[in-house]
Amino acid sequence: MFKKFTSEEISAQNQVKASVQRKIRQSISEEYPDLEPILDELLPKKSPLIVAKCQNHINLVVVNNVPLFFNVRDGPYMPTLRLLHQYPSIMKMLRVDRGAIKFVLAGANIMCPGLTSAGGALDEEVPAEAPVAIMAEGKQHALAIGYTKMSAKDIKSINKGIGVDNMHYLNDGLWKTLHLD
Amino acid sequence: MAAKPIPQQVLYCPVCSLPAEYCEYGPDFEKCKPWLIKNAPELYPELAKEAADKTAEQLEGLEVSSASKSQGSTSDSKPEEVKKLPGGKVKKKEKPEVVVEKVVRNKRKCVTIIKGLDMFGVKLSDASKKLGKKFASGASVVKGPTEKEQIDVQGDIMYDIVEFITETWTNVPESAIYFMEEGRKVPATA
Repeated sequence: MFKKFTSEEISAQNQVKASVQRKIRQSISEEYPDLEPILDELLPKKSPLIVAKCQNHINLVVVNNVPLFFNVRDGPYMPTLRLLHQYPSIMKMLRVDRGAIKFVLAGANIMCPGLTSAGGALDEEVPAEAPVAIMAEGKQHALAIGYTKMSAKDIKSINKGIGVDNMHYLNDGLWKTLHLD
Repeated sequence: MAAKPIPQQVLYCPVCSLPAEYCEYGPDFEKCKPWLIKNAPELYPELAKEAADKTAEQLEGLEVSSASKSQGSTSDSKPEEVKKLPGGKVKKKEKPEVVVEKVVRNKRKCVTIIKGLDMFGVKLSDASKKLGKKFASGASVVKGPTEKEQIDVQGDIMYDIVEFITETWTNVPESAIYFMEEGRKVPATA
C-alpha cells in the first residue's frame, strides 16, 4: 500500500478540529487499550494534530511533523512501524517463517502457509479484519503491519491464500517518510 | 490503568534505516556490513569473522597496511558509482546535472525550464523565488513529466542563467549545466 509513497502523494494536510481530534484519540485507544497510558504523550492535547490526506484514501495522523498512525478510508487506525517498534506489545502479533521475510519486505501479502509452518506463530484470538503486527522468525522486531483477511482459526484450517493484507512494511514509502513538512 | 509502557529503543542501521536485524533483507546489505560489524556484531557473528578474513586477504594482496582497512571498512575500497538493484541488475547512478531548456509558446514568448537542481540539494521553492526575483518574472515549481520537479521561469533567460546558477549555488559546477537544443544536450560551457 505504501510501496511507492512519497510526500508528494499527500493531497491535503489539515489541522483537525478538537472534536475530530477527540474522535481519533478515542478510536486509537479503543483499538489499542495498552497504548492508552501513553496516548497523552503521543498525541498531546495541546499540540496541533494534523491529518494528512493521501491518495488511495489513506489518512496519516501527524504530530510534530512525524507520522504516527495511518488508516484507510474509515478503517481502524494503525501505528507506523517506528511507533510499533517502540511499543511492540500494543498489537496482536503474528509470526511468519524465515522464508517469508524476503517477500513481506517486498510488499507481498502474507500467505497462510507462512504463518502456519514451523517458523510461524499465530495468536488464536485474532479475528478477521483486525490490524496485526507481523513479526518474523528469529527476529525481535516487527517487520510489517497487516490487516487480517480471515480469522486466525480460518488461517489455520484453510491454510491457503492470503491470510493477512500487508499494509505497511519495513523500508516502504511510509517507513522512509520520517518527517512531513 | 496499566503501568506506563516504556518505549523500547530499537537499533536502526544508519545505512539502510532498517532495524539492524533486518539489514540482511535490506536494499544493500553489502554497504551495511561495515556498520553492522562495528555496532551489532552479536546479530551477525558470521559477518565479523568474514570481515576479518577479508581484510587479512586484502592486506596480503595489496601489501598495504593502512589502519582504516583493518577496521573492516570494505565499502571505501570500491568507489565506483554503481548501484545494485534488488534484482541483481546493475544500474548506473544518475549523474547530478542541471538541464536548461527553452520552450517557445505563442511564437514570441517563451518559458525556460530548469531541471535537476534538486539533485544538488537545492530547495526548489527557494530556488524559484530567487529566480523570479533575479529575472523579475514568474517562476514556479512544476511537476515534470517523469515525477521530477522542475522550475519554470517565464521569459528567455538562457543568456545568464548559467552564471546565476553557479553564483547562487556554488556547489553546482558549470560543467554540470546543460542546454537542451533541438532535443540534444549541449554543455553550457562553450
